[in-house]
Amino acid sequence: MGSLNRRDFLKVSAAAAATGFVLEGIPYLAGNQTVSAAGVAQDIKTSSNDVIVPGACSLCPSGCGILARVADGKVVKLEGNPMHPVNSGSLCPKGQASPELLYNPDRLNGPQKLKGERGSGQWETISWDEAIKTVADKLNALRSAGTPEKLVFMVGDPRGQLLPLFERFMQAFGSPNFVRNESLNVAAAKLGVYLTQGVYDLPVYDLENSRYILSFGANMLEAGPNPQRSISGLSYSRRGRATRSKVVMIDPRQGITGTKADEWITIKPGTDAALALGIMNVIIRASLFDADFVHNYAFGFEDFSDDNGMHHIGFINHVLENYDPAHVEKITGVPASTIARLAGEFASNAPAVAILPGRGGLLNGSIGGVYAAMAIHMLNALVGSLDHPGGVLTQRYFGTTAWPDLPADDLTVKSLATERVDGAGTVFPLARNAYQAVADRVLGGQAVEALFLYDANPIFDAPGGKRFVEAFKKIPFIVSFTTLADETAQYADLILPEATFLERWQDDDIRGFGYPGVALRQPAIDPRLDSRNSGDVILQIAQTMGDVMSAAFPWKTFEEVIQFRLKDLGVDWKTFQELGVWLIPGYRYADRGGQHWVNEVVGRDRRHAPRDGRFDFYSREMFALFGTMERDKLASFGITQNGDAINLPHYEVSAPAGDMAQFPLRLNVITLMSLGPVSAAANMPTLQEISGMTVGEHWNSWLEMNPSTAAKLGLTDKDQVWIESPFGKLQTKMRTVRALREDVVNLPYNQGHTALGRFAKGRGVNGLDILNPASEPASGLAIFTNTNVKVYRA
Amino acid sequence: MTQWSMVIDLDKCVACQGCSIACRFENNTAPATPEQAAIGRSMFWNEVFPMLDEANDYAQPRYIPRPCMHCENPPCIKVCPVGATYQDEEGIVHQNYARCIGCRLCTVGCPYTVRYFNWTQAEWETPLAEHLNPDRVESSGLLEGPAPRPRGVVEKCTYCIHRLQKARAQAVAEGRDFRADDYVPACVQTCTGKARFFGDLDDPNSTVSQFSKKRRAFRLLEETGAKPKTIYLQEG
Repeated sequence: MGSLNRRDFLKVSAAAAATGFVLEGIPYLAGNQTVSAAGVAQDIKTSSNDVIVPGACSLCPSGCGILARVADGKVVKLEGNPMHPVNSGSLCPKGQASPELLYNPDRLNGPQKLKGERGSGQWETISWDEAIKTVADKLNALRSAGTPEKLVFMVGDPRGQLLPLFERFMQAFGSPNFVRNESLNVAAAKLGVYLTQGVYDLPVYDLENSRYILSFGANMLEAGPNPQRSISGLSYSRRGRATRSKVVMIDPRQGITGTKADEWITIKPGTDAALALGIMNVIIRASLFDADFVHNYAFGFEDFSDDNGMHHIGFINHVLENYDPAHVEKITGVPASTIARLAGEFASNAPAVAILPGRGGLLNGSIGGVYAAMAIHMLNALVGSLDHPGGVLTQRYFGTTAWPDLPADDLTVKSLATERVDGAGTVFPLARNAYQAVADRVLGGQAVEALFLYDANPIFDAPGGKRFVEAFKKIPFIVSFTTLADETAQYADLILPEATFLERWQDDDIRGFGYPGVALRQPAIDPRLDSRNSGDVILQIAQTMGDVMSAAFPWKTFEEVIQFRLKDLGVDWKTFQELGVWLIPGYRYADRGGQHWVNEVVGRDRRHAPRDGRFDFYSREMFALFGTMERDKLASFGITQNGDAINLPHYEVSAPAGDMAQFPLRLNVITLMSLGPVSAAANMPTLQEISGMTVGEHWNSWLEMNPSTAAKLGLTDKDQVWIESPFGKLQTKMRTVRALREDVVNLPYNQGHTALGRFAKGRGVNGLDILNPASEPASGLAIFTNTNVKVYRA
Repeated sequence: MTQWSMVIDLDKCVACQGCSIACRFENNTAPATPEQAAIGRSMFWNEVFPMLDEANDYAQPRYIPRPCMHCENPPCIKVCPVGATYQDEEGIVHQNYARCIGCRLCTVGCPYTVRYFNWTQAEWETPLAEHLNPDRVESSGLLEGPAPRPRGVVEKCTYCIHRLQKARAQAVAEGRDFRADDYVPACVQTCTGKARFFGDLDDPNSTVSQFSKKRRAFRLLEETGAKPKTIYLQEG
């Protein structure tokens, strides 16, 4: 960090007067001085050496830019980096509390090798050389045996170049089994966009310029794929410009987003598709749609004939026939008059956006969740918000230097073509990853010889994750890359301690504005204890393996990989380090039907449907996969319709897991701003302390229930209750919350840890333990939201 | 004379609690154990909490963050028997931890309950204390923050007095006059919704001054006559 060391810039005199190098408006003096002002004389004593190191947080997917204040070699405070557009100087409680992760008393010191039984908690510390050699030998043995596909790599959300580095490692090694956790969270939204717009990525909402923001269960101010970006955008759209946006939140739970919205509309869980279609019904009948778009840049809006002369029902007739507001009212519980009003407001307050939920939101439950995502995204297309200011943008990324070619050898060609361990693309035709299904597939006989885990804690973070304990018994060698020994690491053979985001090199894409941007993580201090950057460790494993693997990875450190890949970023490395971010601000809109439109905005990622720049109101991707399927086979995927309706978004009734008579309440596992989606946050004492601000709870779980439901069940606020589903039961405290539907109960996520560390272990319950552990048959999504429960006094 | 003041726009506040935690790490308040937290002894000088609305059958919670109001007419100072708390000419209410005898009269005197008694010795499990802010402000050699305070004294928000004094020293070092926009407290800097504004209420052109005259502006418990200088802007 030489470039930012204050000693290079400051001359601290005997009187300790300092002038200074000021980074982003955060002046820090060094030494002691006396100040007389406001009628008071005070002495200021501070550290003798203060530096500020830019970086990026990793405690949620926002990846906010940070400035770490390092005083005498210790990280004492974080601020937001004003240069980073997602947070522009702000920082949420997780980021602010992250010194508690850096200096966590439960951090691992050096590689841990299992001593005795798995899960016994008996570990011995070994050297990195020994750990890396152990892994390299194991992997070489797999290649020698001709079965590299038996290595599985499960990851959470590796950011920046770490993701392609891991993918390249698997590719060079010869395994197709790189499994990301998106089936737990963002894949439903991504599929919704993919099956219509043909782009497999999260949509970007230009909230700053939207006049009308309609959120379908997207609790965007607390959680989801980019909470800080949503906060910044909404804050600006409310008070940063001349006209204030209107925000409408549709969700059974009000939450912070509903509280801050102009209007909160409750809806029967799992019926969002019907509501979106009902709104579109009114828009179409009132001719308030973007006629240019639907007629010239879309497919299947009206009835059409195919090449064989077969007549097909188009979107317009499908919607007009089936989703009359009066009918939709019966499905959703939202009054027809409200549906009509929402439609009018949405269509006549351009630019308007309809927001898809990421993690959280009552979407994933059946194939109906995928249809719901399609329907919600179509609302944007219908009113012409696609690639329009204040509408939905498409995320662009910086070009990276291409990786050197991998030597093609027969073994890897053959093994890379084997079926994926999670069944993505085969058992689950729509899926690209089916994280939670790995356990079921392994238990069902898929042979796995070695498993890597990075930022992945499936025993805790997948619904019914406990079955991974059983699955792991069939996997002879498990390696976990993690900072804290989480539940899953307890069942590993080797834990390789990962340096925190304040101690490691890593780049990170800046998402949420459409234009390309990269942030840089850099070590504010050297890694504490004996921990390493997992990017470095992967390189060291490859180099120790020798042969094709070391040839595929000629870089010594992950920092070198980043420099190689981002060579053409357009900024020198030193400036990048000092700023911590590099952007090309200003989103370039594409002309409808133009070259950018076809290449980047509509149809870019399509695998089956033509990349013709037409937005599918009638999904040709769905048609390619399901269009000619027999009725029985369709039913096995949960699709009850046939004919054209398969390819048109529609409402699928999804039977809840748990008989309504016996289990009358829907369990909604919610993610909070405080504890967030990342396991490690649960072992940060300050976050534990603030986690239950809304109900006045601390360091614990609680179940939120409407007071009238509680009264019917003979329960009162703060009673200890059992929450029982067909899959198990949990005991916790019940708190009454009025801003919640009577047939839904909420249980916050990220409590109930059985490992991780002293602050997390043995507190509260993990709602995922009693959720339906199944995977959605067509999409491979984890079924988060169709589990019903009963609640009774403990 | 500068009169420091904070404006919090509740329309932009999203109750994330970033301010509470920024304050904790800036001012070295220790995490409360589960037992202490359960009996309301969490030490957040800048707490966010739900206010249930009677008009709406308590169905719609509104969230409000609450730092010290740095009142023009601070009731807490009047009741202090030892002069441990005092107001400077710029309106900041100081707390001298060496003079404080822990009688807690001020915690009762404060209508906003933003004075926090240090019931237990501040403790951080090793090595968590490594992250403590090394800054230390003293008056005549007596501690006024943000170095950890001893058990048995009353603590409070100081509008990050150490940041103010460092900014002043910085201005001196740079050979220029100190300006009101040279510093903001940690909570203002971190605010995720950009809901907080800080500055000189005496300057008619400052943001806080302009906002204080808005139709949406209100102050908490104005009827007490304490004349708070932390000002809120209504939602909607």
